[in-house]
Amino acid sequence: MAEARKSMIKFKPKKFKVGDVIKVDFIVIHPMETGTRKDKKTGKIKPAKYIDSITFSLDGKPFTSMKVWETVSTNPYFSVNMKVLGKGKITVDYTDNTGEKNSKSKKLKPKG
Amino acid sequence: MERRNFIKSICAATAVAAVASPSALLAKDTPKGGNVLTYDAAVAAITGGKVVTDSDKVKLTVPEIAENGAVVPVKVNVESPMTDADHVKAIHILTTKNGNARSADIMLTPMNAKGYFATRIKLAGTQDVVALVELSDGSFLRAAKPVKVTIGGCG
Repeated sequence: MAEARKSMIKFKPKKFKVGDVIKVDFIVIHPMETGTRKDKKTGKIKPAKYIDSITFSLDGKPFTSMKVWETVSTNPYFSVNMKVLGKGKITVDYTDNTGEKNSKSKKLKPKG
Repeated sequence: MERRNFIKSICAATAVAAVASPSALLAKDTPKGGNVLTYDAAVAAITGGKVVTDSDKVKLTVPEIAENGAVVPVKVNVESPMTDADHVKAIHILTTKNGNARSADIMLTPMNAKGYFATRIKLAGTQDVVALVELSDGSFLRAAKPVKVTIGGCG
């Protein structure tokens, strides 16, 4: 599926082994519009548009999920830990309140 | 049963500041725009009225002073073995004075290995940031910290 929105999954540290606990960071370009701000040119309220749901999966199996509100900062950043059990693929699926769905994946490649 | 469902659907449609039933996890959109939910209503919706214990096991890291209320880093670290039998089930990030008291809920599993979560939130003004933690045994812990905000971040 072509990615409509820019996002990034980062593993910290970049190099890790099976058995290590790493940080999995997810950053996405998204306005996280609250629905309370006025457009200065038109005087109209900018409609709410914010990510409301995120799921982190390993090889298709969810291991972390989030409910998110418009009170999270624009271009949001989320960070959790994860134990590395072996090679695999991390996928972050996220939707926003307008129904826009997106997905980002990154291969998990432990050394040794 | 039918009448109750009918009334429930009316409540959902009228979009008034949230009725805190345990299933009403979401703040309601108001006609003016924007979700509205008070801190107390949010806690009630999350805990269903259960006792919440302030605990040192919940380490909440926020800046004392946020120069920019639109981007306030929040880090939570809960001391937990994160085993199937004993783990952090959810971390709820709340604020005490934003129009919508909820920022994010994170549902963790033992695979996370640590009761850790970090994000950046908006603060409309000086207020407390609260980490409300649900453990696998159904109990709730909490940590709260004040953040001084010099420029508000439309929360």
